[in-house]
Amino acid sequence: MIMVDHVGVISSGTTLLSPVSIAASRGEAVVVRGRNGTGKSTLLRVLAGVRKPSTGTVRINGTVVAERDRSFRRLVSTMIGLPPMASDLTVRDHVTLVATTWFDDPAVAVDIAESVLEELGLGELGERFAHELSSGQTQLFGLALMLARPFEVLILDEPEQRLDPEHIECVIRVLRSRRDRGATLVVATHSVVLTEALADHVLELETAA
Amino acid sequence: MLALVTMIPVGRAVWLSAASPEGLALLSDAMAPRATSLVVAALWAGALLVGSTRGPVVLPPLLTHALAVSDLPRFEAFRSPLLRSGVIVTTVCAVAAGVIATSLASHGLADMAGVARFILISAIVGAISTVLWLVGQVFPRTGVGGAFGIVTIGWIGTLAPSAIDYAPWGWVGPAYPTGEGGPSFVALAALALSMVALVPALMNRLGFVALTAQAARWDSATAHATGLDFSSAMTTYQTRPHAARNIRAVRPSTHLPWTFVVRDAIGALRTPGRLIVGVLALVAAGTLVVMAFAPGMPGWLLGCVAGLIAFAGLGPLTEGVRHAASAVADFPLYGIGDERLIAQHTLFPLAVTVIVTVGAVAVCSAIMGVGIGAPLVGALALGLMTMIARVNNALKGGLPTVLLTPMPTAAGDPMAAVRILWALDALILSAFAGASAVLLFEAPIFGMSIGAAVIAIGISRWRSRR
Repeated sequence: MIMVDHVGVISSGTTLLSPVSIAASRGEAVVVRGRNGTGKSTLLRVLAGVRKPSTGTVRINGTVVAERDRSFRRLVSTMIGLPPMASDLTVRDHVTLVATTWFDDPAVAVDIAESVLEELGLGELGERFAHELSSGQTQLFGLALMLARPFEVLILDEPEQRLDPEHIECVIRVLRSRRDRGATLVVATHSVVLTEALADHVLELETAA
Repeated sequence: MLALVTMIPVGRAVWLSAASPEGLALLSDAMAPRATSLVVAALWAGALLVGSTRGPVVLPPLLTHALAVSDLPRFEAFRSPLLRSGVIVTTVCAVAAGVIATSLASHGLADMAGVARFILISAIVGAISTVLWLVGQVFPRTGVGGAFGIVTIGWIGTLAPSAIDYAPWGWVGPAYPTGEGGPSFVALAALALSMVALVPALMNRLGFVALTAQAARWDSATAHATGLDFSSAMTTYQTRPHAARNIRAVRPSTHLPWTFVVRDAIGALRTPGRLIVGVLALVAAGTLVVMAFAPGMPGWLLGCVAGLIAFAGLGPLTEGVRHAASAVADFPLYGIGDERLIAQHTLFPLAVTVIVTVGAVAVCSAIMGVGIGAPLVGALALGLMTMIARVNNALKGGLPTVLLTPMPTAAGDPMAAVRILWALDALILSAFAGASAVLLFEAPIFGMSIGAAVIAIGISRWRSRR
């Protein structure tokens, strides 16, 4: 599903990402680890199509990554940082809106939104606005927005941020279920717990940028 | 130096407008004294309202905290910012009165005694405004209620003109240079003195939480403004959504445009105060467009003001547009293309703009006896251009680093002015859009040029959105 072949990124003479290679099939999870500055987020951005590699090639589902391509948008869901959250929508409204734009059947959109909210423990927070959430709740809200849409590849940068151990376990369960349903996950993380629970492959970035 | 370079031309432009035939016609109109009273009512209502979010007693956060937890009485600790605010407000009122009065006097429409009287009373109006501003800060909820009370009574005064004489703001009108005169000074001075006497007691009621919250907000807003991010500065003071949370804003249907219209409508309802102000601003913009087409009116000036007010009025209606602009600059979240996402979010604000401005233009045209055709076309053109300006503003992003490049010339470095122009481009274009809308039939090329500029800026920002 994902083929990364000697991908490296150099910008203005600075190496942001030393050449790496990794491959992952459907239903597998790649965990990217490394010290700060080794290029984890840069690699995720290359996979998401917002950064062109200086060397090497990236293919997802056999085709070169093209962020604005319509079929690529459907294929890949990316969360690096928090997604933009509408200030005038409640948690439930926003997750439902995302689902609505992807699924033609309104009932399916509502069902998916509700199930995602329940999976992440956000059901009781459904009527809150984004500014009324704690930092951990906001992180879960961001994940809910990502999961309310269809994808075959899910790219996440440190999804465990701001979460307590109980909610990290919750996120692990949710991600594991997506992986088991056939999605390919690429997760950058510092969490040993998340790595051990999810990883089929571990990519250790060692050379500092 | 920058203040001199900008303030003197602006001041000169204001004086020339006031002294122009159209400006004099406005200032010497028989309704000018009554209009002055209504302006004062609006000023006092505004002071109460503004005080609830940004009062006259604001210092940097650290200083505020240190003084607020000290043993010093509030009146002693925070006297300086109040005095500073009071001097500014009083000076502005006096200067505005001075411009109006001297313009009338320079054309023989008022004598020097009338000029002096009007300036003095305007200074008293400024002092009263400052105290009301403080009242709004000390009693925010009462301040908001008081503001609406003043607006309501002022509105009644427009329907029953004799009633205005009993309201304090009604005492200002007779002091207008072309007014009938009267005991305004004594009454207003007594009112001002009694209100100023309450200041120490009011200030000693300022709470620690309110003081520090307002200080933090102002500090954040000025930091954004210093970086020319005026949108973020305004956002600091925007009311956050709180109402109608139990009404589902997203009701999935097979007709996606309708889903977005409902989403934006209910989203707007969640800040009801902002929505009301936004709609009223669109009504005001439509009214000004009609007035601009009336004979003897400074059309281009009224058009400029209408453009600015229309732009402001669209703010509460375009939260969806702002979110969509953020979304199209980020990783794909929605299952529809970027162009369609933005377009869907313009449906609601455009619909409201059309309905409100058509209604305002129809009513005002009938009242003023102005033909409806030209103002209607002008108002709709203005609504469309300011909507595009709103989309452009949402797509703007951060200050381009190239604008930080110094460019020494024989006349100095103009880049500071360029940066300010960039920061205020939406307001400037909206003002030009307003002027071009009212001059649409006299100078159609001007209107087409402004329209083309607004669209070109939008296309440029769209292409660089990521």
